[in-house]
Amino acid sequence: MKVTIHIWDVPHRLFHWLLAISVAAVYITAKIGGEWIDWHGRLGIFILGLLIFRIIWGFVGSTHSRFVTFFPTLPRIIAYIKGQWQGIGHNPLGAISAIALLIAVGAQVGTGLFANDDIAFEGPLFNFINKPLSDKLTSWHNTTFNVLLALIVLHLVAIFFYRWIKKTNLVVPMLTGKKQIPVALAESITTSHANGAARFILSIVISSTVVWGVSDGIARLYSPQSQQTSKTAPTTQASASF
Amino acid sequence: MKKNLTLAVLLTATATAAFAGPIEEQIRFRQSAYSFAAWNVQKIKNQVVDHPETFNKDNVAAAANAIAAVANSGLGALYGEGTDHGVGWKETRLKPEFFQRKDEAIKVANIFNEAANELAKVAATGDAAAIKTQFSKVTESCKGCHDLIRIKE
Repeated sequence: MKVTIHIWDVPHRLFHWLLAISVAAVYITAKIGGEWIDWHGRLGIFILGLLIFRIIWGFVGSTHSRFVTFFPTLPRIIAYIKGQWQGIGHNPLGAISAIALLIAVGAQVGTGLFANDDIAFEGPLFNFINKPLSDKLTSWHNTTFNVLLALIVLHLVAIFFYRWIKKTNLVVPMLTGKKQIPVALAESITTSHANGAARFILSIVISSTVVWGVSDGIARLYSPQSQQTSKTAPTTQASASF
Repeated sequence: MKKNLTLAVLLTATATAAFAGPIEEQIRFRQSAYSFAAWNVQKIKNQVVDHPETFNKDNVAAAANAIAAVANSGLGALYGEGTDHGVGWKETRLKPEFFQRKDEAIKVANIFNEAANELAKVAATGDAAAIKTQFSKVTESCKGCHDLIRIKE
């Protein structure tokens, strides 16, 4: 006997699909380059916001979004290998891949914040370091991309594997938030949904603040004028001709 | 016979070396050229794309002229034999296969030259919108060489 439960909440699903679209867009804009590199930067900062949101949501979200529920601890991994793991959300293998993806995207975003393209693009935090260090981080940004790409391919292969070999559709639950599980398993659920909207708003506020700070706020507080004089036109007639 | 051969080889070597210039110097000068161009590119981006309210016609025109000057300065002379290894201001990132793909490299370099010269012409008019359009063509052309002949680290 199977029963339908709610497994992935709306913020979680929104996060997942916005991340998927943003990652595709950020890749395309990087490939095109030229004037599109600015959009690459904006999308990167947006992804930073998504990541911050996911981390916060991993502590205050609904049951299956919380890290404590699915984090691949050693006992859980051992039980899974023994074939004794029973759960509703991510199994330990799924948990490891999800966390690996989050770390890889985090590394990509983290290095990107300081990167440059030797032409006209500088990451929003470029002014906190110097060009040689930025070049090094840009190089890492290119390397971590390969790791991320491999993980994304693995992620897609796993989805297909589950669909065609294990006959489990993982895409539909991530779209609708609902999953069919055996009644016996359902009886063990203790999901709490109280104050979901408040927690969501709080998470959005925090991640938006980080995004604003990175893209605009820190620069404003960190005396932007002195950082920009090499690129701004001179303001007085005297300096104009020198 | 052997002495003449040695002499011939030595003379050719010195001749080529003297013609091309020491390797590190070529690398250093071209790195400087692109760095100087980058400053001017960023000046234009700042005044035409990011903060158009700070647009200064003369400053942008001067920057465009500087970029065109770099493009027209005959940078090809700084890509002599052996310059795919060595340190100018930093280790060069020229791909070794540059020397096999010189024709393609010249083609993309000419795209940069044409775009830069056109930008200098447009910048003289002071039409910010037209400058912005041509500017994006210039930055696009930078990528042409980077993708073809520069090692992606």
